[in-house]
Amino acid sequence: MDNTTHEFEWKRGSAELLILSLIEARPRHGYEISKLIEQRSEGTVRFYVASLYPLLYRLETRGWIQGRWVEKSGQRRRRYYRLTRQGRKVLASQRRGWHVFVEAINRITEVENA
Amino acid sequence: MPDWKPEILRRLAPLKLAPTREAEIAEEVTQHLDDRYRELVASGQSEHEAFRTTLDELKGEDLLARSLRRLERSFDREPIAPGKDAGNFFSGILQDVRFALRILRKTPLITSIALLSLALGIGANTAIFSLIDAVMLRMLPVQNPEQLVQIGLKPRMGQNANTTVTNPIWEQVRDHQDVFSGVFAWSPRTFDLANGGEENDINGIYASGDYFNVLGVRPAAGRLLAASDDIRSCPGVAVLSYGFWQDHYAGAQSVIGSFIRVNGHEFPIIGIAQRGFTGTDVGTPFGVAIPICAAAIFGRSLDDRTAWFLSMMGRLKPGANIAQAQARMKVLSAPLFGAVVPQDSSANAQDFFRRNTFALTPASTGSSSVDGVRDQYSQPLQILMFVVGLVLLIACANIASLLLARSAARQKEIALRLSLGASRARLIRQVLTESIVLSGAGAILGVFFARWGSALLVRFVSTDQSQVFLDLKMDGPVLAFTIGIVVLCGVLFGILPAFRATRVSASSAMKEGQSQGAGGRSQSALARWIVAVQVALSLILLVGTGLFVRTFANLMTVDPGFDRNNVLLIDTNVHSAGLPEPALVPLYGQMLAKLQALPGVVSASQCLLYPLDSGDEWTSEVSVPGYQPPSGVVPGVYSNWVTPGYFSTMRTPLVEGRVFAARDSANSTPVVVINQLLANTYFRGQDPIGKHIHLGGQEIGEKPLEIIGVVQNAKRDSLDQDFLSTAYVPLAQIHSIREDTTFEIRTAMTPGALIPAVRDAMASINKSASLQFSTLKQQADDSVIQEHLMAVLSGFFGGLALLLTAIGLYGVMAYVVTQRTHEIGIRMALGAEQTSILCLVMREAAIVLAVGIAAGLLGSVWITRMVRQFLFGITPNDSSTLALAITVLVAVALVASYVPARRAMRVDPMVALKYE
Repeated sequence: MDNTTHEFEWKRGSAELLILSLIEARPRHGYEISKLIEQRSEGTVRFYVASLYPLLYRLETRGWIQGRWVEKSGQRRRRYYRLTRQGRKVLASQRRGWHVFVEAINRITEVENA
Repeated sequence: MPDWKPEILRRLAPLKLAPTREAEIAEEVTQHLDDRYRELVASGQSEHEAFRTTLDELKGEDLLARSLRRLERSFDREPIAPGKDAGNFFSGILQDVRFALRILRKTPLITSIALLSLALGIGANTAIFSLIDAVMLRMLPVQNPEQLVQIGLKPRMGQNANTTVTNPIWEQVRDHQDVFSGVFAWSPRTFDLANGGEENDINGIYASGDYFNVLGVRPAAGRLLAASDDIRSCPGVAVLSYGFWQDHYAGAQSVIGSFIRVNGHEFPIIGIAQRGFTGTDVGTPFGVAIPICAAAIFGRSLDDRTAWFLSMMGRLKPGANIAQAQARMKVLSAPLFGAVVPQDSSANAQDFFRRNTFALTPASTGSSSVDGVRDQYSQPLQILMFVVGLVLLIACANIASLLLARSAARQKEIALRLSLGASRARLIRQVLTESIVLSGAGAILGVFFARWGSALLVRFVSTDQSQVFLDLKMDGPVLAFTIGIVVLCGVLFGILPAFRATRVSASSAMKEGQSQGAGGRSQSALARWIVAVQVALSLILLVGTGLFVRTFANLMTVDPGFDRNNVLLIDTNVHSAGLPEPALVPLYGQMLAKLQALPGVVSASQCLLYPLDSGDEWTSEVSVPGYQPPSGVVPGVYSNWVTPGYFSTMRTPLVEGRVFAARDSANSTPVVVINQLLANTYFRGQDPIGKHIHLGGQEIGEKPLEIIGVVQNAKRDSLDQDFLSTAYVPLAQIHSIREDTTFEIRTAMTPGALIPAVRDAMASINKSASLQFSTLKQQADDSVIQEHLMAVLSGFFGGLALLLTAIGLYGVMAYVVTQRTHEIGIRMALGAEQTSILCLVMREAAIVLAVGIAAGLLGSVWITRMVRQFLFGITPNDSSTLALAITVLVAVALVASYVPARRAMRVDPMVALKYE
């Protein structure tokens, strides 16, 4: 239960940033996104279906990302999300904000620990 | 793999998403869960564990829905594409219409072919219906028109229904009836407004004093006729119709109290009738109404008991019905007729007259006078309505075929919708909406076509002699009719494709290549049935066309008993000359002499009634010594007075004896020339020359007439009428001469070229005589105008039907060939000859054709019997007409199916097999 709360707090601030970052280089589908988040955070951060997709749709409605059905031979069609021009700007700004925030936190926590 | 969809859909259900959106989310989430499940199983979990874990990640029942709720609200409204039932069957109809328009735009070729056929079909139906509405259905614009009844005579053996009475009969009814709250009488007339020279004819009426009052028509200005205006030896007054007032006086108030010249006599204008009221005769609106008593001013005796010229109407008392009124009028008949028996007639004729009874007919939509527009055109219009109805059916069948073909192409789309949860009823509604939108668009085009077409038709049937005016407004009934047609057509050509298109299984049709399969086969079977129906309907129309065209051709080539070419007719009226009757004979003599002397005139003559003049007639009771008429029949003949040159001018051949000469004068033995029919009827093989007959009527006198010659039969009122027994008497021996007469000139040149010379010649003798010119050829053409109309229109619509059927047959055969390309390829690969492939395809067409023709033959035998009375010189079941119609139909059908058959013949087996 503790873990869940922790997870929830984390996502609340960072979820958008995580998704935007993951599709910056190339379009990815939903499962791939959730997989990457889980792998790269080594299981610390996880998105479940019931929250991932609503988030994707919200970003899409805002015009930051764009989903498109892609058919590949021998596979079922999948919906791939790519970053829009507007999303790229948002990502850059969120990234800057995140660095500022993390540095500030670091500064605070380092002082405490010292 | 577990099926996640139900779990997902259950969680999405509270959101009430658009089906397409819901399906999209479900698909995406399903994939996610599939991937997750696969991964868990791969990592060593049992299938059951993996299933539980995966499902857990959906996080309870409502998280998904909660997270999506605010986001997806924008999808809440009804989608354009039909999906689930949205409660009310009619909700979202606007969206259906929008969607229909989009679909129609996507197939411009099909849409434009359909629109064109519909515009023609619906336009023709609206045009004919607006004429039917104007001629037969529209209520008179008067107070409580439903209370009006026409008072005529009951038809009796040997007589047609008579709607006119004499002035003495009218006065009896007016003064003694107790059935109606009011009665009135009128007589449509042609009034000449000119002051000499060429006539300026307008439609007018003699009206009884109560005419406007009983009808409940109000004055637009001044006052209308009153009973006091219509008394014997009245000076006469005039009431104008609103339209006439506007056209001739620009609606000036000052016209009240001024004078109008009618037939050379000045009448004071007392008032204008209310706007929109044009009299009770459909098609001939009056311009000027003068009281009946004023007819005496023009020489008509109001006491003449043999002049049948007035029509009568009555207004039922409130609460009374026509049956009660009829019963009472029947009782009144004997005393009323008994009071005004024509005293000059034979005892037999007087008895016949006494036994007349009154007959009432409803007249809320106006009167039905003999030779009136309604009488002449009611039945032709009904036939035309039937014809254009058939054409529209054929057009609908074509569109149904087109839509069937398109529905095959749309099976994937429909299947997708079904799989997204659309109900079949909802999809049928969508497809029907498309058809009705199509037919509505066709109707809008059609209405323009109709307005133009119906005006053209009215112009077609209007002649110089009888102008037809109809108010062809788009009123309630016409609008309702058109809307009804639109819906009917839309349903008619939409229902089969709609049911057919939605009868697909959601999964099978989604796959490629399925549309060419079994569904396609039954599709083309259905299309073949439709074409067979088209063939049948076309055959009926073509047989009708053949009958009407041949009727017209027969009329144009029939020997009328005179030579219609190069004869100029000069209707002359010297009423304005103000001469006493004895002075008329020398005046006429001078005029005739002057005309004969004109260069270019071969011969000239004068007569009372020229052939094919459908206006007046002069019938006389005939008695022939030794001839006993069947009991109850008063033998009558048609009479005419002529000058000696008449028969040579008309080129009516003399059969035996001699024609009139100058020696047949007022003082010599009274003589008569009869036609063959009269000779055969009354002398039965005896030689009539030198025998005597007696003609009744004051014009001829009491003495028996000696027959001096027999001439060939000549047509009287119209070319399609049978010959009538006719007696000709010389003008010189006539006792009472009218002020109107006709001169006829046989010319050596185009008759019209002589008009200026004739006008000058007549003016040099009497400036105030009014003249009206026409040619005998024109009269002949006008007398068959109804048949001409039927021939032209049935020809046009028959051709249209043929074209539509050819298109339909071509479409179906092309479809069949496309479907069987593979089969044909195999046959050819196995060595089939090209000709056998041709036979294979043509056999399909032949079967359709044979079925259609068989049904069409049955139909036409049954239906053409209804047009028997419009045929001339041909029977409804004329075998050569049937054969010709079938030949034309088969020829066109074979050409239409040969084109696709040839394509089948040229199928390259390699290509056809590779295609598969």
